[in-house]
Amino acid sequence: MDFSDFIVTNLNQFWSLTGFANVTWSHVAMLLVGLFFIWLAIKKDFEPMLLVPIGFGILIGNIPFDSTAGLEIGIYEEGSVLNILYNGVSAGWYPPLIFLGIGAMTDFSALIANPKLMLVGAAAQFGIFGAYMVALALGFMPDQAGAIAIIGGADGPTAIFLTSKLAPNLLGAIAVSAYSYMALVPVIQPPIMRLFTTKKERLIKMKPARAVSQNEKIIFPIVGFLLTCFVVPSGLPLLGMLFFGNLLRECGKTTRLAKTASNALTDIVTILLGMTVGASTQASEFLTVDTLKIFALGFMAFVIASTSGVLFVKLFNLILPKSKKLNPLIGNAGVSAVPMAARISNNLGLEYDPSNYLLMHAMGPNVAGVIGSAVAAGVLLGFLA
Amino acid sequence: MKRSIILLTLIAVVGCASMSAQGRRGLRLNEVMVVNDSNYVDDYGKRGAWIELFNSTFGPLEISKVFLTNDPQNPKMYPVPLGDVNTRIPKRQHILFWADGKPTYGTFHTNFTLDPNRENWIGVYDTDGLTLIDSVTVPVMESNRSFARIDDGVGAWEVRDGVSEGKHITPSSANRIKDTNGKVDMFHANDSHGFSLTIMAMAIVFTALLVLCVCFWIISRIGAKKLSDKKLKSQGVDPTSIKRAERPQGDSGEEIAAIVMALHEHLNAHDNEATILTINKVRRAYSPWSSKIYSLREIPRR
Repeated sequence: MDFSDFIVTNLNQFWSLTGFANVTWSHVAMLLVGLFFIWLAIKKDFEPMLLVPIGFGILIGNIPFDSTAGLEIGIYEEGSVLNILYNGVSAGWYPPLIFLGIGAMTDFSALIANPKLMLVGAAAQFGIFGAYMVALALGFMPDQAGAIAIIGGADGPTAIFLTSKLAPNLLGAIAVSAYSYMALVPVIQPPIMRLFTTKKERLIKMKPARAVSQNEKIIFPIVGFLLTCFVVPSGLPLLGMLFFGNLLRECGKTTRLAKTASNALTDIVTILLGMTVGASTQASEFLTVDTLKIFALGFMAFVIASTSGVLFVKLFNLILPKSKKLNPLIGNAGVSAVPMAARISNNLGLEYDPSNYLLMHAMGPNVAGVIGSAVAAGVLLGFLA
Repeated sequence: MKRSIILLTLIAVVGCASMSAQGRRGLRLNEVMVVNDSNYVDDYGKRGAWIELFNSTFGPLEISKVFLTNDPQNPKMYPVPLGDVNTRIPKRQHILFWADGKPTYGTFHTNFTLDPNRENWIGVYDTDGLTLIDSVTVPVMESNRSFARIDDGVGAWEVRDGVSEGKHITPSSANRIKDTNGKVDMFHANDSHGFSLTIMAMAIVFTALLVLCVCFWIISRIGAKKLSDKKLKSQGVDPTSIKRAERPQGDSGEEIAAIVMALHEHLNAHDNEATILTINKVRRAYSPWSSKIYSLREIPRR
């Protein structure tokens, strides 16, 4: 082989390894999706903490390369760096760590002061099971339908946790769908809230919540954990970490641990979770008809969940005395999406009465929604795993 | 001193509990063949009696130093040797021992044999040689038949002939072969629309949160009563002398915040503040390994 042939052969070989030689339209489409997510996060301020890592993860996961070259760089190639990071998603241990952080940063006072708001959080879980029935009708198997339906819980970590157990092959689509719709909560929920409430109902002023003692705040995570996990042991990883994080926060003796759990740890896991979930959307796995169905079902699950939360409050008002009536605008907050959904209740309430602050009232169903969706995930896991 | 004793006791209790949890209690005798004429062969190409063990836990199980025996009077008859990586059974997996009386053949060949002419008692003892983990009495069987649990690791045993439907002889593999998820199949067949699961699941979700709700309603009643008692006591009123309906309601957080704000605004009041001065050294000591931090650009602030 002469010198020029040698150069040409090697350059050809190098060219065959580049992204330009391996690119397909599906890669380009996914790269555009990733760029769109980053644009949404930075320019439109839609959940930037989630969408920036996911968006960039999509870019990472969709750089075209020759998968037969044995480079061991793809997220699905065992032993690659991305694959090792992805283990937290595929084995389901990132979500409980996120739940630890959520617990450590959540104030359950609103819920403790007004425990009946927990039922609103339960009612909103109809979104999950409504979507489950439609997913079955679309031809998904029960385990896949359960994984898709959990998008209606509006809780990204829960969705990832359950999907990693029930339908790992749908993980990318479900995770991206769950986080996308969580970011779009401000767009999806207000029309539903307006549609199902009258102007008179939107003006209902709720009694300010009473002050909650520290003892009650300490008892809550312990009793909450014991009761919910005795009913649904399969929710243990999520509920255990959620209530543990909350106990770290409320006991007053572990402030350092609570701070680490709610700040540094949550940030680290969010970065890794978002990036690897994004990277798991490799075009070959992601661009399928099923993905479109999952996005449609996810949207529907959000709509059903928000609707059932609002309607449940209206129904609940029928049996409540006049002085204790609830403003149905807090019903949407029963889907988790903490604290975005509660903020929407507050903003919409202020739109109709500038002195009607619903934020703290909406935080009750909002955090109940977190517990409710974790319980629902535990139930689905118990029935279908 | 007292506190240290309590702490040590707690650590000891937790330690004992975890040691017990880490024991080999999940090890199960799973299938036994006594007369093997035309069945499974060992690594030497020979046939013999075999005993299958099953790790019924969902974690790997190290079985070295566990004892296998066919004599209840001699529980330490065959200790599983140390130092063989194959004695670590992965979760829900099987391992086979040849009861051929030839321990020099390797780790998985016991020093005892099984008698085809009488019932054989087989036991597995924990590493202490005292704790019986599992045992079975194998009946007299025809050749090439096995005595196996119907389902791996649990429940009843049956004689398998290897020919009849569902009576397969399965050395080193699952006694009941599952090719699909039974639960999913059941829901697919009996609940194709998802109504049943929806009703059951929503009932469970509501029950869980309702129980929590009732529990905290009771706790909040107690909390509210305590707050009300405290308030009355601070006003010099005996709480027991006031009827329930006449008791003052607890202050809301908003009211408390308003009172605190008013105090702050009008009286320039302050809480007691800790007068501890803490001086922290903030400048990093120079190190060639950390010096690069000075050369990195700061993240731009938007």
